[in-house]
Amino acid sequence: MEIVTVYGLNLLYTVATLGLIVLGLAVVFGLLGVMNMAHGEFVMLGAYSALIVQNQGLPILLAIPLALLVCGLFGWLVEWLMIRHLYSRPFDTLLATWGLAILMRKAIEGLFGRGYQSIDQTVPGTVHLLGVDYPAYRIVLFGVIAVLFAVLFGWYQRSNTGARIKAMVSNLELAAAVGIDTVLLARMTFVFGVCTAGLAGVLLAPLVRIEPFMGLDYLLSSFFILVVGGLGSLEGLLIGSGIIGGTDIVVSAISDKTAGYLSVLTISILFLWLKPDGIFSRR
Amino acid sequence: MNRREFVKTSLLGAALAGVAVAPLRTAIAAEPLKVGVLIPLSGPAGLFGPSSQNCAMLAAKEINANGGVLGRQIELQFADVGGPPADATRAALKLWKGEKTEAFIGMHDSAVRGALTNLFKGQVPYIYTPVYEGGECSTGTYVLGETPNQQLEPVIPWMASEKGADKWYLIGNDYNWPRDTNAAAKGYISSSGGSVVGEEYLPFTADNFDSNLAKIKDTGANAVLITLVGGASVGFNRAFASFGLSAGALRLGTLIEENTLMGIGAENSANLYSSAGYFGNIESPAAKAFADAYKAEFGADAALLNALGESCYEGVKLLKALADKTGSLDAAAMDAAADGVSYDGPRGKATMSARHVSRDIFLAEANGNQFKVIKTFENVGAGNNCG
Amino acid sequence: MLRTALFLPVVLLAVPFVWDFFVAYELGLYLLYGIVGQGLVICWGRAGFLPLGQALFFGTGAYLSGYILTSFEASWIAVGLLLVIAGLVPALIAGLVGAMVFNRQIGSGPYFSLITLALAMLGFQLANSADQITGGFNGMTGIPGLPGVDSYEGLYFVILAALAVSTLIVTYVLKAPFGQLLAAVAQNEERLQFFGFRTGTLKALAFAISAALAGFAGALYAPHQGIVTPQAVGFLLSAELVIWTAVGGRNKVLGPVFGAVFIGFLAAGLRDIFRFWEVVVAIVFVVVVLRFPEGLSGLILAGGRRIALGFSDRARPVRDIELAAVRQESEAALRYDGIGVKIGAVTILDGLSLDISGGGIHCIIGPNGAGKTSAFNALTGKLPVAEGTIAWQGETITGERAYRVAARGIGRKFQVPSVFPELSVGQNIDIALWANRMSHAEMFSMRSYRWRSALLAHLEKLFPFLGRPNIRAGDLSLGQRQMLEFALSNLPEPALLLLDEPCAGLSAIETSEMIEAIADLSRTYNRMLVIIEHDMQVVEKLSDHVIVLHQGRLLANGSLAEIKQNTEVQAVYAGGAK
Repeated sequence: MEIVTVYGLNLLYTVATLGLIVLGLAVVFGLLGVMNMAHGEFVMLGAYSALIVQNQGLPILLAIPLALLVCGLFGWLVEWLMIRHLYSRPFDTLLATWGLAILMRKAIEGLFGRGYQSIDQTVPGTVHLLGVDYPAYRIVLFGVIAVLFAVLFGWYQRSNTGARIKAMVSNLELAAAVGIDTVLLARMTFVFGVCTAGLAGVLLAPLVRIEPFMGLDYLLSSFFILVVGGLGSLEGLLIGSGIIGGTDIVVSAISDKTAGYLSVLTISILFLWLKPDGIFSRR
Repeated sequence: MNRREFVKTSLLGAALAGVAVAPLRTAIAAEPLKVGVLIPLSGPAGLFGPSSQNCAMLAAKEINANGGVLGRQIELQFADVGGPPADATRAALKLWKGEKTEAFIGMHDSAVRGALTNLFKGQVPYIYTPVYEGGECSTGTYVLGETPNQQLEPVIPWMASEKGADKWYLIGNDYNWPRDTNAAAKGYISSSGGSVVGEEYLPFTADNFDSNLAKIKDTGANAVLITLVGGASVGFNRAFASFGLSAGALRLGTLIEENTLMGIGAENSANLYSSAGYFGNIESPAAKAFADAYKAEFGADAALLNALGESCYEGVKLLKALADKTGSLDAAAMDAAADGVSYDGPRGKATMSARHVSRDIFLAEANGNQFKVIKTFENVGAGNNCG
Repeated sequence: MLRTALFLPVVLLAVPFVWDFFVAYELGLYLLYGIVGQGLVICWGRAGFLPLGQALFFGTGAYLSGYILTSFEASWIAVGLLLVIAGLVPALIAGLVGAMVFNRQIGSGPYFSLITLALAMLGFQLANSADQITGGFNGMTGIPGLPGVDSYEGLYFVILAALAVSTLIVTYVLKAPFGQLLAAVAQNEERLQFFGFRTGTLKALAFAISAALAGFAGALYAPHQGIVTPQAVGFLLSAELVIWTAVGGRNKVLGPVFGAVFIGFLAAGLRDIFRFWEVVVAIVFVVVVLRFPEGLSGLILAGGRRIALGFSDRARPVRDIELAAVRQESEAALRYDGIGVKIGAVTILDGLSLDISGGGIHCIIGPNGAGKTSAFNALTGKLPVAEGTIAWQGETITGERAYRVAARGIGRKFQVPSVFPELSVGQNIDIALWANRMSHAEMFSMRSYRWRSALLAHLEKLFPFLGRPNIRAGDLSLGQRQMLEFALSNLPEPALLLLDEPCAGLSAIETSEMIEAIADLSRTYNRMLVIIEHDMQVVEKLSDHVIVLHQGRLLANGSLAEIKQNTEVQAVYAGGAK
């Protein structure tokens, strides 16, 4: 029974963290059609923002505004220099952001060195929950991510910006014609996407390895989650995370991690082939 | 050397080839001895590039100050072998045939080693320095690194008797080194009265270790042998501690060095041990002298000393010892003279037999983000590698 | 171009003598990567889909080669066998994957790319885990060289020969009708389907050719390196192959070779002396993608403009092979029986039943939203049919894919002219002539460029601009594009031709030209024409028979005079006389 509880909590953790990481990628890919291969590197920027705050001895919560500032400014710059020239060339966004990812890794290496960094757990220790000991910080993370998703969901459903983005996606020319500044909106969308990546970086920093290559971890699985969940809905995003994360957890538990990894790849291929618009599609 | 010079020397070299190169070289005894140092400067192992480079340079400097090798000053030539084997072969060939490099020291993965032994075919001395899975027996190749035998033969029984480790969980990345290390470990575990309660291999891409931790907890293991590498080791150990497992089970790693420990973090390192031929803060006079010299040469902020980086220092030392005994750098003559060669380094005394060295092995316990050597096993053999 | 053709082989052959054999050895590796990139020229540069896992095929070829060379006594027979197997196995894998994926999904979206990426990751893990066969991460080692060829010296010349063969193959594939069809796939895959081409198979074949080239290069990589490790299969090498191709030029046969050599030597020269060498490589790469999407070779070899997109200024071969006219087997008969089509919750066609038979011109009219175009879409496999059946010549064809419907002799012209904009008028005509006539073998025969037909001559008389084949189709005026597409949809000589508002957007003069042409062709060749038309003037002039649709159902059916008398029709049209 205990082990079932642990696996259940682990699944929840996986869905929550993957969902958080993929969110920005989904926004950028789903709304702008940009395959941002540097998405993981923005997660890295978030984690290193937390490192700066820790090294300066400042309260760790300051890492959140710092990461948003760093990712926001840098995202703005990247959109202006690179992305906006490539909206009509989707494969080229993939190539250019792959180059960008290398540059970002090297910049971090130049600033912080090649070595591993460690962020202290803000909420250390374990708590006794449902009969098992579970890391306290993860429990906190569940709450934070749940609130975050609820706010986003509400905002996107109700705010004017949400409606505008929807209008822009459904008809670019019409949106421009009715006075929506599509250039600005596209830029804000990109910035929003990379800022959520940065936020994910801050939140995950105490749990993961931190080094210039860390972004690669998040990139490829994120794309597969996107495809399985389908673009365009938060529910799809969470279900995609659940399917990919759940497959990994279940197969890894029954067999081993390598089998889990192979299953994730196989499921992704099957979805890409048979249901490329995600699990909700009717195709 | 820029390309134009390169072309010129190459043309000159081609003109002279086969005519009088060998006699010419012995005639000019003071000609520098070019030693290729093949280390990862990019890629995932690039982390160890700077410390490896520093250590090799320090060794060359010390040897040169004392008259060099066979009266010749060492000139190190570094090449980045952090990429796949094809890149390494290219870089090594360029040094060997283009720059007339006379000996190679390599600190890289086993795939690159396989490519290099195939390239060199025993025609040039090649010293392989890092910890590895054992079994290398190619002509002209000399291995300095710790084998699984060395790291585990004395350590596992000690862990059993001193720490009560008898239920082992073996976890590593899915490739040759962890599999071979665990194969060796199983023998020592059963002979020390323990049992293996789980064995698992993870793909390089693994970044979530929850299912492994659940299994470890479920099996009731009281010792975990970790052969994960680099980032995977960091991630695993952080998650291990965050689940509160450190108190119930000790962790022993055979490739957890100073950088990895920094990444694991002080709050996650309780009950974590590492077995290796070197640690940055070994208390012996030779090791202390080396660490002081390193600090004096490269400053307090230099790349952390660690077993992989320091192995390049040992590599240069071994080359000198081999050349001194052979009296030349001729690969065949060196092969004949190699057995019994020994030298003293920061790790202590190393003695060569069957292309490997027997030497002291240190067991260290993590204390925050520092290692503290708690036990030294003297003169441990490398096991049977040429069977 | 000719100068390059002579100059390049001389330079490459001279490398080992002028520089040194280890420079040639290094160059040989990059040339092998370049051969893999040449496959990407076909898939990405020409057909517009990007395989992201090409290393899978390269590595498969390399492992097969390593296995054969290690297991069998080195003989040239074994080597021949090896080159065939190492090319064939990857080609079969790619062909199968391509056929499975491309026949389900139209277009060149990222999904196929992600599938190939996932396959490469899968391949890496399998190569890594199956250490009994592959040697695991440490690799398959000690692979001997080719018999009698020193891997560090003589093999370079073998690689040059391989490069020459690969260059010839790729050049031929791109120049052949197959290459032109791939360009058409990239520009307007759907249109090509409406000409009866099974585009999924064309793409799968292109992918298979690229995989064969990759496997072929891998076969030489194994003896060149003496070792094959999982990295030769993995994602990173795949990504690098794409980078080299992009930098060198995805549209030029030698572009990827140039890219691989340039980046290869740049990286090799920098990596030992400059810790941040990857920054230089990445900047070169990003700048090329942003500023020079045609790649560096596009910059250097200016003048080769647009070759890759299929448009070329080269003189066309004279059309001197006369095609026989297509014979109609039987009287045309089209029948809709209770067809229902829904998009989401909206009913588009609501039990449409309709019988049309015999030659002549049948006009479909009806107010906006009556379901006229949807009736065409349901017939040609563009819209899924929820209920009912459609029969053509007595055979049920409900739900058949566009290319199958087209292959049955049903042609279609779209309301907004749908042509291949980057191809010349002549090349557009080629494709229409090939439609429903071309065998797979003829896709690789240059003779197919010489086809002509009596109908083509007739059309050239009706539309004189068709006689100027070197104009880019995208540069034509809207009216001319309507006429071009009209001509194209006639050229396969379909038994049934569907025309969706053929006069939309035409000037008054052009409209009367078009009406003339339709009437003329209808008189000359007795085939069934179904025209959707809003303009009653056109209906008056052309129609032999009028069908009125309203709210997704048949409202009336008869001669124009009968329709005009129909009270229901009058009621629907009460709002205006249009």
